[in-house]
Amino acid sequence: MAWYVCLVLSLGLHLKPCTTVNASKLKELTRESFLRIMQSEKTSFVYFGNHVTPTIGLFLEQLEKSANALDDYGILVAKVNCSEIPVPKYCTKELVMKKAYLFRGSELMKSFVTDTVFDVSAIVAHVLFTVLFNELRIVQTPEELWSIEKNVKGKTDIVLTQIVTLGLPEHRAVMEAAFVYGAKYQFVLTAGGSVIKYLGVEDSSSPQSRLWFLHCKEVLQQSDPCPYTVMRRALTTLNIYTFLQLMEAPLVTEASAGPSEVKLPYSHLHAPLLFLFSQADTLALDRMTAETLAWRLRGELVVVLICRDSLDAKTSLEYNAAYRLPGEGSEIKYFTLKSTEEAVDLFREKIVQEEEEEDDYNDWTVLGDAVSMALLQSFKEVANTLEGVPNTLLTSVDCGEWADLCGSEMVSSFPTIRTYRRWEPPQTYRGMLGAEALHRYISRCHVLLPVILFSEDEVWSFLKEDIYHRYTSLSPGTVLGLLSSVQDPGRFMFEEAARVLRGETTLGLFVDHQAEKWAKNYGVQLPALFVCRGLDVPMETYSLHLSSTKELVADIQRALHGSFPELTVETLPLYLDIKKPLLLLFMGDDEKINKDQGVLENKDVRADLHSLIGTKQLESYKLCWIHLGRTPVGRAVLQSYLGYVPQLPALVLSHLGSGIEVFLYPPEALLMSDTVLQWLDRIERQEEQPTGFILDKNWGPPVSFYNFLSIMDQQLPGYAAQRTPESKKRGMEAEHRDKQSGHTEQGARDIKHWPKQPSSPHQHYEL
Amino acid sequence: IQDSYNTSIESCSNSTCRHDYCVLGAGPAGLQIGYFLSHSQRDYIILERNSGPGSFFNIYPRHRKLISINKIYTGRQNREFNLRHDWNSLLSHKPDLLFQRVSTQLYPDADDLPRYLSLFAKELDLKVQYGVDIGKIWASEDGDHGGRSYTLIDQHGLEYSCRVLLVATGLWVPEEVKFFGSELVEGYESIPVDPEEYQDQAVLILGKGNSAFETAQSILGRASRIHLYSPNPVRLAWQTHYVGDLRAVNNELLDTYQLKSLDGLVEGGLEEIAIVKYSPEKKASGKEKKGDRKDRKGRGQLYLTLADLLQENNGNGSSGITAATLPGYHNDNFSLRQPYDRVIRCLGFRFNFSIFDSSARPPCSSMARGRFPGVTAWYEGKRTPGLFVLGAAAHSRDYRTSAGGFIHGFRYMIRSVHRVLEHRYHGKTWPATKLQTTQLLSWLLKRVNEASGPYQMFGMLADVILLRGSYCEYLEEFPIQALAQLTNLSGHQVTEQGLLVLIMQYGLNRTDTLGPGRAESEWTRAWKSNFLHPVLYYYSRLPTEQDMKYRPVGWPLPRPKAIHHIIEDFLTEWDGPISHSQPLRRFLEHCLQTDLRAFYAESCFLFSLTYTEPPLFCRLGYLKKQGIVGKSKQWQPSQEEGVMADDDESRTSQEENSLPEYLSEAEPFVTSGMN
Repeated sequence: MAWYVCLVLSLGLHLKPCTTVNASKLKELTRESFLRIMQSEKTSFVYFGNHVTPTIGLFLEQLEKSANALDDYGILVAKVNCSEIPVPKYCTKELVMKKAYLFRGSELMKSFVTDTVFDVSAIVAHVLFTVLFNELRIVQTPEELWSIEKNVKGKTDIVLTQIVTLGLPEHRAVMEAAFVYGAKYQFVLTAGGSVIKYLGVEDSSSPQSRLWFLHCKEVLQQSDPCPYTVMRRALTTLNIYTFLQLMEAPLVTEASAGPSEVKLPYSHLHAPLLFLFSQADTLALDRMTAETLAWRLRGELVVVLICRDSLDAKTSLEYNAAYRLPGEGSEIKYFTLKSTEEAVDLFREKIVQEEEEEDDYNDWTVLGDAVSMALLQSFKEVANTLEGVPNTLLTSVDCGEWADLCGSEMVSSFPTIRTYRRWEPPQTYRGMLGAEALHRYISRCHVLLPVILFSEDEVWSFLKEDIYHRYTSLSPGTVLGLLSSVQDPGRFMFEEAARVLRGETTLGLFVDHQAEKWAKNYGVQLPALFVCRGLDVPMETYSLHLSSTKELVADIQRALHGSFPELTVETLPLYLDIKKPLLLLFMGDDEKINKDQGVLENKDVRADLHSLIGTKQLESYKLCWIHLGRTPVGRAVLQSYLGYVPQLPALVLSHLGSGIEVFLYPPEALLMSDTVLQWLDRIERQEEQPTGFILDKNWGPPVSFYNFLSIMDQQLPGYAAQRTPESKKRGMEAEHRDKQSGHTEQGARDIKHWPKQPSSPHQHYEL
Repeated sequence: IQDSYNTSIESCSNSTCRHDYCVLGAGPAGLQIGYFLSHSQRDYIILERNSGPGSFFNIYPRHRKLISINKIYTGRQNREFNLRHDWNSLLSHKPDLLFQRVSTQLYPDADDLPRYLSLFAKELDLKVQYGVDIGKIWASEDGDHGGRSYTLIDQHGLEYSCRVLLVATGLWVPEEVKFFGSELVEGYESIPVDPEEYQDQAVLILGKGNSAFETAQSILGRASRIHLYSPNPVRLAWQTHYVGDLRAVNNELLDTYQLKSLDGLVEGGLEEIAIVKYSPEKKASGKEKKGDRKDRKGRGQLYLTLADLLQENNGNGSSGITAATLPGYHNDNFSLRQPYDRVIRCLGFRFNFSIFDSSARPPCSSMARGRFPGVTAWYEGKRTPGLFVLGAAAHSRDYRTSAGGFIHGFRYMIRSVHRVLEHRYHGKTWPATKLQTTQLLSWLLKRVNEASGPYQMFGMLADVILLRGSYCEYLEEFPIQALAQLTNLSGHQVTEQGLLVLIMQYGLNRTDTLGPGRAESEWTRAWKSNFLHPVLYYYSRLPTEQDMKYRPVGWPLPRPKAIHHIIEDFLTEWDGPISHSQPLRRFLEHCLQTDLRAFYAESCFLFSLTYTEPPLFCRLGYLKKQGIVGKSKQWQPSQEEGVMADDDESRTSQEENSLPEYLSEAEPFVTSGMN
């Protein structure tokens, strides 16, 4: 029960921005209104579509919500029904159109796939981001930041934000703030890296969105750095607003009324108030204390210095301070302040407390059927092993009961596993549905995005660190993506891939000139993929063709498993995708085999076959090995191919995907690379007889059909039969007759109550 | 109101207002369609002659108790499911805009309904214009659009012109039967509702429906004798499953009848009777009978007799009522021989055809003595294209069978009609969910276990699943009588893979409703289920109008290629693996000609390596890297009699692998592969 409650609470928070809206501002455009917008200077965000799938339906709901939000910024949100107005270029022939476009007048500013603008926050964030793009500055290095500082010192303050993932509510909040305060402050964005180190963030391993206020306006000496204040609260619109207002407020406000009477221009802000009581004789000293404290807690609260002399006796002398937390009706609490440290601790605690409850993430399965029940079993196992791990909560939702919730979370297939983390969009798990894979995924899911690396030094320290961590995980290697620039569209794919591969491997992304140089040294073209299996082993390099995240993920997975991979239940689908005949080396349990004299050791066979990789003959095959100890079902594969399990190791060529023949390498021959090549040659020249076959089966119904129709026909002839025009006529007559006879029957049944038609008055005999 | 008035003014000029849609009547049906039009941002106006919505319920039911169930505790959180037991709420996207906001009574007070409707109209900001009394409606061919348009004229001469007219005027005209003396009869619509007025009176009520029984029930403790008279015996809703038949909430009189406490039911034609005023003392016309002594104080002068008797005894021209003109004279034990103080007509209501010009008047339906307009299966008036009838007035399609005449039924029908409108006038195809075929089974079970539309509108609204091989398109709540027109109405094509129709049905109803053997429990006997249960029809092609016309007697659909009844369930929870899920899967496998079993990743591994193609489940899951890894690596089929193998993966054995068993499925093929 507790699971349910926890889940709903946290999801409730998550869903809050999606609840009902008032009159919709989402317009469906007519041809005329579309043209009018195109001819105007108005900024508009338009979705073109013709077919509403549930996913698109939900997108449209979000779009509708964003219409109201963006209306505030003078941006029109609309949809165009392509089946009514087939706007060329935008109304494509796709069955489901998955793009929305941002226009200024008729000029296309940017297009977005609906997966990017997946909810109202993402829409508002991306749209405002694009609109404001020229006004915002984006920095990657401290140097770039310094040059901006230089320009604005003495003139304007800087609002610097680190946005880890675009499209989340925090991104939206920052963009909304930039829209409102863009004229007042210089807004600067960074993705993290060395810039934030410069701002004192030591631990960049768990990237998180942050905001700094750089007080440059008050800096008069060009040589002085701009002091800065970190915003310590979550990046929400309200918090940013409060924070910026507090930046404008004087450090310490002095008052002469009691805490409950004092009128402050900032009292409407959602910020706590700290009152310090002073006396005339200690005022100078207290003022200093207050200022120190105010600096320490700047942006978090308002410090008010009250001179006790002017107060009535009500304020007890035993306390020297008081505070009031934001929120209606919150009381003033008096306390004794001993040190500034204490005050800092007190406030940090209070504020943290408020938001703490939101800090968990949930893994969420959706139940439906037997498969779900099987998965739930694994899920429970994982939950048990992860019990006690802080900030991790595994729960399940029965969609049969919470149908609306599942609907609003766009869950349309069962079972579904989702991860919910604060400040991140929910993520659907797409891996194997088993305890082991799930455990790996969940316990490593704090490793999120590809770490962006700008220099060779950063690359090596990343690899070292990751190799160290890898001892505790099962990942066979660390993966490095190389892109020519941080703006490369491939970055998004890598980010997505890193998400999908969470728990399988860690991904670093090396970008810019340094990366280009590096790749050149290795003789590969960008974009490229490097796999590092250890610092003493040469790195494997691959040139990439970035077409889709899905393929990138598969490429990375294949790269991780190497050129002569082990085929397991988990990895087989990766290699079936290649659609090459499989050259399979079946190997038994090492120990058992070693007992047999004269049999090559598994490793030697593998090493020998490995030397074939890269030869021309092997290009048309995929060479893999199956360890029957780890993958016992491999034995069944041999059974099926050959009818028996031959002596191991055994090499089998399976023409999967292209034919049905299976060839077994002659068991009597030694498994040597050159003899294997000869054998493959003979097969190609059709000089070898197949040893077995791949089965061709039409997976029809596995059990016989229970035919209700024939049973009806048998037991109630005519009941299930179509009427013919004649029978229908007859049937109607019969029905009619039935009705009539039924009628009289009813009369008969009630004969006592209803007289037979009196034929003549003479029937009345009684006198 | 002011706002909506203003916006509607914008579309008015020269005393004519133009809208795409005119909705006539702001009752439950009018507001319901108004909501859908508003939600899809259509140009519409709802015209209402009274000053508030749902004014029918300001008067009716006369005794102010609604008999529509308002069950607010169901033990479930699923909102869709809960609507199965909420008969008064209208549909909207607002989860809390439910009738339970105005009443927590199981049988609410009638005043709560207009209150709820006001709330509904207000919170959804529906464009309703009150005080517009439409007196005349005609149709004209519209030259500009080449289509037809409807013009409505109100009491001030203001005209409303619309492309589509949605008539949701309900049933307002009290049904009357003309016979000799029918002017002596009082109507349900105007009888006094204070029981004291019936003190010690003998009352004859014409009719045996809910209004008749409601009236009887209210005066049961005051009237001396209540007789209910109509052609047909009482139909009990709990026997017929038709909510328009006599509900148990109103049936106390059945008790007093069967326990012989002066009340009674009598069958007989209404057209053949006559009501006459007769006072034996005054008309000293002959033989005084014993029974007449009861006739005291000059009251109770209304006698029921037969038109034939009057005719015979009066000859031509003479008008004297004599004892001989009364049946009791001829049959001394004639049931209704005693006089009555009051005769009350409770015969229901009919549609008001009078405001329609012949150009815009839908014909009378042959159902229910012509009380309803005749409409097509998608509720368009027959002969009046662009004019749709919604709500209670549209009940002719399922009169005495389903719930289309009642809020809990027509709210879904209206949603379906709206989808038809969206497709016909705005090119929007019927909303469909694309599902992987392996997901179909669980979707069907989900719908069967929660969907309210097909549950309320049993036999009328059905989910249609268009099969497309590895995936399918799932359309919800299609009006099934229009199945032959599916492509036209929905915009979806049927391919050679065929289609499935999921519908809820009551059974043959050939057993005693409360007697032994009234329910089936063995899934193989599911087709004999008596209670509401899901039925799937499989067609390899879309049935034609002819197929529909000649469908088997009593069937909602023509004979399919295959049919599957899901056994009725006492709890209406169709989720049992053996009784519900497996037989359904077996049926789907037959229709799709594919193996729909779920397999563990390990089996998929084997099948993927040893077969040219693994089963569908592996193709759609495992090969997309989403295999199900079992706790134990073994998967063991269960070969029970009559139960399909290995459905229930949770039964997986905990033992360690024993491969021969694991391979029991594949082994025979291994040998054949060898040869």
